[in-house]
Amino acid sequence: MPLTSPLNIYGQTLDSRLLIGTALYASPDIMKQAILASQSQVLTLSLKRQNPAENAGNNIWQYIQDIVKQNNGFLLPNTAGCKTANEAINLAQMSREIFQTNWIKLETVGDDYNLQPDPIELLTATEALIKDGFKVLPYVTDDLVMCQRLYDLGCEVIMPWASPIGTGKGLMNPYNLETIRARLPDATLILDAGIGKPSDACLALEMGYDAVLLNSAVALADNPVLMAQAFANALKAGEQAYLAGIMAERQTAHPSTPTLDSPFWHQN
Amino acid sequence: MVTLTYLPQKHPIRLLLHLNFLTEQQTQTSFAVALNGQFVSKATYQSTALKENDALDILFPIVGG
Repeated sequence: MPLTSPLNIYGQTLDSRLLIGTALYASPDIMKQAILASQSQVLTLSLKRQNPAENAGNNIWQYIQDIVKQNNGFLLPNTAGCKTANEAINLAQMSREIFQTNWIKLETVGDDYNLQPDPIELLTATEALIKDGFKVLPYVTDDLVMCQRLYDLGCEVIMPWASPIGTGKGLMNPYNLETIRARLPDATLILDAGIGKPSDACLALEMGYDAVLLNSAVALADNPVLMAQAFANALKAGEQAYLAGIMAERQTAHPSTPTLDSPFWHQN
Repeated sequence: MVTLTYLPQKHPIRLLLHLNFLTEQQTQTSFAVALNGQFVSKATYQSTALKENDALDILFPIVGG
């Protein structure tokens, strides 16, 4: 059952149920403070073309390495921007060489408007990368059958979206997400993308999701450090609520206060 | 001629015979390379010859979500 033990990502147990991105922060210092405040131990990052003379990427890379050392964390490189399986496979291989990790957040963009993953390319890339020794964390829509296919290919971790990347719309389709949780009870499910508020993260864990991955919700907050703390608290609340057992919804009202021996004016 | 792609602009570079020139030229130690869209591991730089119209991508760590 989910949430009854620490978060487990391909055999690595983690104290925090938050995976956090490193993009969009106003400055590297704010990024560092926010990530440390979030208590997250998994940081996402990427690769891009850059003129080596600029050296800008090297500075931010140093920052990220410092954070990972400080919080005993782990890197999760992504394949953002890749549209085909071949692009994603090559970028994953480049990431593995640089970051020295088999983990890969696999993204294959299928549509430029909503950045919805391309399911065909995603499955093709997943199969090839698993054969190549990668531990794949696929970013996928809230489609149950796609999640099932990815699990069958060997993905121990699956990351359905809450809503499109960067929208902050929260959980667009709770029914789909609950169904995925119910049908894949042994998978590690991480809700990825579209989370806007701490209450969204709390809701995901109340549903039994194992963790959430987010970036914009913290980085674009007026106060990213305070928002990171809010997410850490919300995740803890969601986990505790799930473990406590949430009451069943009822269709009709039931008085909370006992009616037996109520005052005489209520007894007619 | 080899087309070296750092950015959208393409940079023609002459007289490059093998990829191992990268280990001498790069000031940043963390980078990875794709030649004509295919990953090339550091272990094979020495044996990877460059030929006319090759496209070389050099990628560096960057923030990501």
